[in-house]
Amino acid sequence: MTGRIRSAADLFGTATFRLALGSSVLLAGVALLQFSLIYWRTTQYEVERADRLLDREAALMAAQDPADLREQMRLWATNDLRLLITAAGLFDADRRPIAGNLRDWPEALPVDGAIREITVHPLDQGVRTIRAEALPVPGGRVLVIGRGLRDLQQIRSITLDAIETAAIPALLFSLLAGAWLSRRNLVRVGRMQLAIDRIMEGGLHERLPVRRGGDEMARLAGSVNRMLERLERLLDEIKGVGDDIAHDLRTPLARVRAGLERAVLHPMPADGLRAAIDRAVADLDQCFSVITALLRIGEIENGRRQGGFSVVALREVAAEVVELYEPLAEAAGNRLLLDHGPAGSLRGDRDLLVELLANLVDNAIKFTPAGGTIRVAVLVRDQEPVLRVADTGIGIAPSEREAVLGRFYRSDKSRHVGGSGLGLSLSSAIARLHGARVVVSGADAGSGAVFEIVFRNETMP
Amino acid sequence: MLLVEDDAGIAQEVSAELSGRGFSVVHAATGPDGLDHAMSGAFDVLVLDRLLPGLDGLAVLERLRAEGVRTPVLVLSALSAVDDRVRGLKAGGDDYLAKPFAMEELAARLEALLRRPPETRETVLRAGPVEMDLITRQARRAGRSLELLPREFRLLEYMVRRPNQVLTRDMLLEDVWHYRFIPQTNLVDVHIGKLRRKLDPPDETPLIQSIRGAGFLLRVEE
Repeated sequence: MTGRIRSAADLFGTATFRLALGSSVLLAGVALLQFSLIYWRTTQYEVERADRLLDREAALMAAQDPADLREQMRLWATNDLRLLITAAGLFDADRRPIAGNLRDWPEALPVDGAIREITVHPLDQGVRTIRAEALPVPGGRVLVIGRGLRDLQQIRSITLDAIETAAIPALLFSLLAGAWLSRRNLVRVGRMQLAIDRIMEGGLHERLPVRRGGDEMARLAGSVNRMLERLERLLDEIKGVGDDIAHDLRTPLARVRAGLERAVLHPMPADGLRAAIDRAVADLDQCFSVITALLRIGEIENGRRQGGFSVVALREVAAEVVELYEPLAEAAGNRLLLDHGPAGSLRGDRDLLVELLANLVDNAIKFTPAGGTIRVAVLVRDQEPVLRVADTGIGIAPSEREAVLGRFYRSDKSRHVGGSGLGLSLSSAIARLHGARVVVSGADAGSGAVFEIVFRNETMP
Repeated sequence: MLLVEDDAGIAQEVSAELSGRGFSVVHAATGPDGLDHAMSGAFDVLVLDRLLPGLDGLAVLERLRAEGVRTPVLVLSALSAVDDRVRGLKAGGDDYLAKPFAMEELAARLEALLRRPPETRETVLRAGPVEMDLITRQARRAGRSLELLPREFRLLEYMVRRPNQVLTRDMLLEDVWHYRFIPQTNLVDVHIGKLRRKLDPPDETPLIQSIRGAGFLLRVEE
């Protein structure tokens, strides 16, 4: 694949070119319509003018006596009235010509004073189309007067000229512009394809070329680049999680190995041996708890449990968790309080919501020094049910707020605290399953941490 | 008891451990084999692996229940998913244990299945010196009234119904608090500690005993 254009079919097959072609055809159609309209209206005007003129002259003539009429015919033939009446003929009762430039009786013209379009061959001109009328005049004779539509023919040729000199070049220009634009786009698309090929070959750091100016293709390329960035970050995260798992499993496993090896190599009394084995079992249990928690997170994130949702009263969940954890808080020298708010309820999985809150409370108790207070509250804010756990512990620095919900995260301060390190990750996975968001705040170091689970309003039954 | 388990390693460990605790263990390695044995009805308790060659553990269980075999069954599974547990219990299992498990946990649960407290209409429970009135929610030890919080009363009631029986932390979490997950802390120990301070004053024989590596036990004279 290259950035070059392979064939004319490529060039003319692009959307840009088709668009240009389409708009050119449309443009030509509109121009044609416009000129036709102009032509038609002018013709109409010209015909009306001729007809009015003929009517006026005919009315005048009908009243003339024969001598005057003949004189009039001569005048028409010589002076500028010729501009008005271009064909005239005076015929006797037997339709023989008496005077004027019309020598042949026009058969197509009934003698009724109505104006018709006929073709004649006047003496001093070629064959032409005229508006004419025949009317009886005194003495049993018939007068034919007519006005040629020469102007009309001129208008027609002007119109055609205009189309030739304006519309056709415009059409050509727009087709050429279309071809040029389409070539330009093809080149750009070609470059993007090259970049995509490189990405597909594993160059995830590669990005699509984005031209300055921000046209729609640049915007698209920008979106694709943002998507690539997100994917790259996700992949890094997955890799990071893999590393974390490896690390969190390796440490206890290494301890197990070292402990057992020492027990084998160095003779020790039975209770020493027993203690070594107990430590090994405890370390293995730690590994299992990490694996179990990871599997649970996976299971919850797959969202398969939504089928089991029912109406859950948040206050009951909170009361249950507080009752369960109160002795634990007390043992740690802290107070665990439940603030009664309005009863928020929502559709959810009760067991999972208990687990969610339990993990938050557990976490709060762990990170609150003796003498502190942990408050659990159920409230409704902006019609959204909220579960809130606030403590007076070491708090979470703003830079760490996002990370605490990630897998395995423990701030350096907490490395010595037990647990799988996945409690908050589990809580955050459960929150996501319920369409809720987790807000970590109030967390300038030292002033305690506040975790809020904000449920969606529409989950209210 | 009958152990239906396809993994030879686990089967051997479990058989050895349980035999050492006085169980007589019969082992079947496949689903159909296990079903044949179980149909005889000659066992007091069944341990059934969830994933078995030939016939799935749950299918075996459903077949057994359909045939009217009422033997208590403990379902073992490497799948820890909560839904899986629900399915195991729905199919007619009496208890559920996820692999990996501690031997103590398995032994305690089998013991519990064998010694299930009888359905009783009694409103007063007794175990040794402990007496509990379920109507007035009053608990006494040798006539001395105990000031118990509701949660402590529930815990003691569970223990009094199962005297001299090892109760693991997980059993207490599941049965007393209906917890379906493993908390990150020693929650059960703290609750037991609170109860113990009220039930066992320093000058009396302690009733609640800690069983190393297993759980707790309410020790009373039969």
